[in-house]
Amino acid sequence: MPKSLLEVFDLKKHFTQRRGLFSSLTAEERFIPAVDGVSFYLKENETVGLVGESGCGKTTIGRTILGLTRATSGKVLFDRKDITCMPAEELRLLRSQMQMIFQDLDAGLNPKMRIREILKEAITVHHRFSDAEVERKTRELLDQVNLKSNKLSQFPHELSGGEKRRIGIARVLGVGARFIVADEPTSALDVSIQAQVVNLLRDLQQQLGLTFLFISHDLQVVELVSHKVAVMYLGKIVEMGLAERIASKASHPYTHILWSSLVEKQNREAVQAPTTGAWGVHDFERPLHGCRFAPRCPVYHAQGRPAICTDPASEPELRDLGDGHYVACHFPLG
Amino acid sequence: MTSTPLLNIEGLRTYFYSRSKQAFIRSVDNVSLAIARGETLGVVGESGSGKSVTALSVMGLITAAPGVISGRIEFTSGGVARNLLENLDRYVQLTEEHGRIMGVAKDAAGWRKNAEHLLGRVRGKEIGMIFQNPKAALNPFTTVGKQIAEVVQLHTSHKGVGEARERAIHWLERVKIDSPRLRYDNHPFGLSGGMCQRAMIAMALSSEPSLLIADEPTTGLDATIQSKIVDLLAELKQDIGITTMLISHDISVIKRLSDRVAVMYGGTVVENGPAAEILAGDAASRHPYTAALLASIPNETHVREKTPLLAIEGEVLDTINTPAGCRFYARCNRVTDKIRQQCERCEPDLREIEPGHRVRCWLYFD
Repeated sequence: MPKSLLEVFDLKKHFTQRRGLFSSLTAEERFIPAVDGVSFYLKENETVGLVGESGCGKTTIGRTILGLTRATSGKVLFDRKDITCMPAEELRLLRSQMQMIFQDLDAGLNPKMRIREILKEAITVHHRFSDAEVERKTRELLDQVNLKSNKLSQFPHELSGGEKRRIGIARVLGVGARFIVADEPTSALDVSIQAQVVNLLRDLQQQLGLTFLFISHDLQVVELVSHKVAVMYLGKIVEMGLAERIASKASHPYTHILWSSLVEKQNREAVQAPTTGAWGVHDFERPLHGCRFAPRCPVYHAQGRPAICTDPASEPELRDLGDGHYVACHFPLG
Repeated sequence: MTSTPLLNIEGLRTYFYSRSKQAFIRSVDNVSLAIARGETLGVVGESGSGKSVTALSVMGLITAAPGVISGRIEFTSGGVARNLLENLDRYVQLTEEHGRIMGVAKDAAGWRKNAEHLLGRVRGKEIGMIFQNPKAALNPFTTVGKQIAEVVQLHTSHKGVGEARERAIHWLERVKIDSPRLRYDNHPFGLSGGMCQRAMIAMALSSEPSLLIADEPTTGLDATIQSKIVDLLAELKQDIGITTMLISHDISVIKRLSDRVAVMYGGTVVENGPAAEILAGDAASRHPYTAALLASIPNETHVREKTPLLAIEGEVLDTINTPAGCRFYARCNRVTDKIRQQCERCEPDLREIEPGHRVRCWLYFD
């Protein structure tokens, strides 16, 4: 059994937001629990998909476990080393092994640098190489992501979306990362290009033994690339398990709603989107009593609003259903 | 079809000039489309295939030079078909070399004035548009409600302030925004992406247009919200029976909502026909690009057996140096020896292969 490469224990990241110009005087602060007690682990050479609607804290998890933002509390062990309390210099060295593919294609690449310089920077940031060596490695990288070498002298704005994404991937490989947080790597791409990128990520995983945390709200793609899937809702993981199982036999009502809201699936099975209770916007400020999904939960309303769901003392914890399938719900679906 | 189509586009070309490359970007190159009253036309294609530019050309919202340079856009309102590009050739002079347009001289100011005159009572009133990025398309300084009320006052008979306000609230309610009276006074930043999109749809519908252009109405939204917006559009289609041009690269959305589909590639329409035939029929009866596009969507087999997706090989078409032959030739996997020469040298035209089903491919022509 491959050993676990990354372990996350009760990770929390809370942001505070000041309101208005004089808030420092009045001490009026807004408190946003973006990630609120999350635990999971990743084995080597495995892909874990992280899904959930926008604003549920997916990207924040990715950034926090790479140490790009400091965690409020909790532990993140990478290769058995806790990175949440690591000195900055040590963390910098560790970054040669863990990297992020950023969501925004254009913001991720410096518009004033040519592709050659962008890749060179990635190759030389942690290691010293001779010019010839850098050249050789650059070509190797381009080869790995199936790009032609005539792209080297171009600027990012001259590339198409798919090509920019490949450069983003090449740069991460150039650093020598073996653990990669891929934040919405296909969300800005067309289906035909999306297929190319998904295939590329899979091939690279096989060739180089990479480990991915794959963040996306595209459920079909997540289901396709991931071994395991974790579903997040308002800063917490509500369900976690093998990808097939999550997709076909979801236990948490939220997961069920997510998967049955796939338009493709509705087309095929001619079912209507499930109706839920108050389907408003979630609000981080709302005092959370018990299960945070309860106000939108069809099961909660169908069961006649049981008190246990809104009891502040009994927020559902992740329970083991066997086969590595965990769910945080008082009334899991059969 | 016996009746005249509501919108009929013929041979539309919209070019842009790239100063750094000293060449024309042929964003829309000979597009012909027709939308009958009451139907939903889905327009699919990869980014850069000219879907949005076609829509913006219809709305007269192309500002970059040279912009629209030739074609006809016939729009029928009140039983009279009018060409929205009337007198265009008076302002544009084209120089051709070997059958390709190499130079454009356009009196931009004159054309602008003429176009504004032609579009004045059509844009917003007769043709409503849902823009791609709702957060960017709404005015951040004004409340959502006021923006809708403004449209109502401008384009409908409800001229009074209070009356317009009630109409706006009615439309907010119609697109199922909860507590519309409260939301009326919200600024766009106070609304989520899905709500902004609903407000955007309300705004487009509030002038009671006869044609609605929806440019990527679900892109960038979460799966749950996406399906809600699709449901809403399906419901509006059923209740109001509004004619819609739906642009999307999400084929499942197109499949759900459209009656007819136009597939675009490299600035032109390569296939056009009934949605059921194009999106579900067997691969043999389709344009090779459509077939490849449909094959690249992840389906259940891919998920179950973890097989690689079928990506379309090759690179996206260079819209500056468009090839002389078929645009898809370089990436096509169905070229036969019999037609190879034709594919390479001459561009096929959009020809009817079955009633109502037109394809731009030599494979289907004898």
